[in-house]
Amino acid sequence: MRAAVAGIGCVTPLGCGMDEVWRRVDAGESPELTRVVNPETAREHVVAPVPKAVLAGLAHLGREPRMRRASPISLFAAAAGKAALADSGLELAGPVKSRLAVVFGVSSGGVQYTRRFYEQVVKQGANAASPLLFPETVYNAPASHLAAMLGVDGATYTLVGDGTVGMQALHFAAQLLAINDADHVLVVAAEELDWILAEAHHDWRLLATARTVPRSPAGRRGAIIAEGAAAVLLQREGGRATIEIAPGESFFSRKDAAGALSAALSVHSHRGPVDLIADGANGTWVDDPIREAVARNFPQPPKRTLPVKEWFGEAIGCGALLQVVAGVDGLARFGCASALVPCIGWNQQAAAAWIGRCG
Amino acid sequence: MPRLPARSNHRRVAITAIGIVSPLGRGAAANAAALREGRDCVTPVTAFDTAKCRSKTAGQVAPMPLPDVARAGRLHRASHMMIHAVREALAGDTAFKPECMVVGTTSGGMSFGESYYRSQVEHRRDRDRARLVANYPPQKPLLDAMSAAGFRAPLQIIANACASGTNAIGHAFRLVRAGQCSRALCGGYDAICEMVYAGFDSLQASTTEKVRPFDRARTGLVLGEGAAVLALEEWESARARGATILAEISGYGISTDNHHLTQPNPNGIGPELAMQRALDDAALEPGRVDYINAHGTATPFNDASEGLAIAKLFGPGVPVSSTKSMMGHSLGAAGAVEAVFCVLAIRGGFLPPNINFRERDPAWDLNIVANTSRDARVGCAVSNSFGFGGTNASVVIEEARA
Repeated sequence: MRAAVAGIGCVTPLGCGMDEVWRRVDAGESPELTRVVNPETAREHVVAPVPKAVLAGLAHLGREPRMRRASPISLFAAAAGKAALADSGLELAGPVKSRLAVVFGVSSGGVQYTRRFYEQVVKQGANAASPLLFPETVYNAPASHLAAMLGVDGATYTLVGDGTVGMQALHFAAQLLAINDADHVLVVAAEELDWILAEAHHDWRLLATARTVPRSPAGRRGAIIAEGAAAVLLQREGGRATIEIAPGESFFSRKDAAGALSAALSVHSHRGPVDLIADGANGTWVDDPIREAVARNFPQPPKRTLPVKEWFGEAIGCGALLQVVAGVDGLARFGCASALVPCIGWNQQAAAAWIGRCG
Repeated sequence: MPRLPARSNHRRVAITAIGIVSPLGRGAAANAAALREGRDCVTPVTAFDTAKCRSKTAGQVAPMPLPDVARAGRLHRASHMMIHAVREALAGDTAFKPECMVVGTTSGGMSFGESYYRSQVEHRRDRDRARLVANYPPQKPLLDAMSAAGFRAPLQIIANACASGTNAIGHAFRLVRAGQCSRALCGGYDAICEMVYAGFDSLQASTTEKVRPFDRARTGLVLGEGAAVLALEEWESARARGATILAEISGYGISTDNHHLTQPNPNGIGPELAMQRALDDAALEPGRVDYINAHGTATPFNDASEGLAIAKLFGPGVPVSSTKSMMGHSLGAAGAVEAVFCVLAIRGGFLPPNINFRERDPAWDLNIVANTSRDARVGCAVSNSFGFGGTNASVVIEEARA
């Protein structure tokens, strides 16, 4: 499934937009890690949040009528989505707007409001739970807010899944273009942090513990979970890059997972060597096999590898789309002709995208 | 969203098999019998304590044994429902090999998330926590169903709130019609859970009495649960292999209503656009529709908006019912469950009833199939689903004609 990338945007623990990310990466900076505390057990977890200074810069979005009570995930999604539209130069008016679709990908969703709402149910009783919180717990709340901000009245879809969901959202968007349901599709993926999310990843042995996190991300064991958003505006032709997505098959076990990733990568391996890889390894047993699978399918080393999850942490449902954003940006920044984005999910799917530079 | 002029090479899309688990029963035959009977399957909630909720009832699926599935007891109830639904569909058409699976849900294995949270609050050193985390995500019941049914395919999970099931069917339909794939398994599922139940209760969207869609004195919804799937296949491909074609999907419409996160625009524009677009997609005049399975949650706001849209688009003639009156609102499953109900109505020649109906709402003139089913030829049905976030979706299902 092939489409063209017209614009990109992102909100990350290293700032908003790839220019800011590169400025900080080139300066040798890492995300500012903080600790979230499980109030029930006092256990601490290290996470990579979107910095307060970045949040302050998004405050204007929080004053939009639909966003006043929205949780951070909606704010991140709106900021990244609007940045991708601005990057593309697309004027949202008349027939263009009426043929714009929004596809939102998410894995954990509005976990802050969800946890808070259920906390009220458990600790105070259902009759004391706030009706202001519940609507923001639904997976499609961020997509709904974004569609309302943009005035989209056509197709708005929210996709859920594992860490590959951003890639699935791209594939879904490419399908909407292919079947003529839209002329442009704004694909956004986002996540927000909460202590219960960190706790769950800890229980599944995916999280770096406070004691094992070195100052440098290199060599760590376990992921630092993160938050943020990524956005890509797709259209049929033109734009700054082409993207072809191999959505991969579902798998039922880790053994199956490696095969699913290899199958997705093999869709692209006939193209020969790739210039740039937007890597998905995150320091866990889930994602680190990516490097081995890529090496098998693309034996010639790339000119450059972008360690996207070392920069940003593991942003779960928006991780794969952040890789794509980094890959698209990297093509122009490093004069590369092609980029590969491999990703593998926790328990659902593996996927790979090939990005080619236009012009 | 206006579509460009229809392409002449659109392929027809057949429904070759269905599978369903709902409060009305397990399997298509049991559901058809309950629909004909107009059985009220809303009962007091047993899954969790409702003492502090205003409402106390829901449509609940009876426990289902899965003796041949390894470690079935560790799986979420949603997995059990999906396994039964998928197996029924694939048993009904053993030659059907899905190339992709598109399914809607709103809350996945949420009750496992609730248990996980409670384990933290109660300071349980629970060795079971990893299992809860592993079985909580929305994809897990679908992977379990694929594994139990012996196939694997790329999976797309749509979470457009209460429209999810219809969106999943609509998207799969468009993929098959456009030639992006030849066979797609699509549907929806949701299992009732405390958090979502408390959520609708907190919004005062759920009722303390009987659920009465489109009734003048309606007071809100009751929640339900279930799973349903439909096997879609390109028409000529299905015919060539001699598959039984149960019905045809001929149109899909989607709209987004930006009025409010949880309330539809009272002017009905969202439902109207979705239904109009579905009819346009099917190249059908409204007068050709024999039955509308309404979203019909029985909340004052939803039914007012939908009733207005139906009356405006179809006039007073077309029979309308909300089968949620019998089993409650199964959220992400609703669109799929109700699409299967439309297939059963078409195949069985009857109109499912809108039970608990007492008095028509003077706000619109609708032909409600009140309280008892009616024998009727149903050549064409429209199924509606509208959700939080303003997503509205409609599909057109027609009888199989050569």
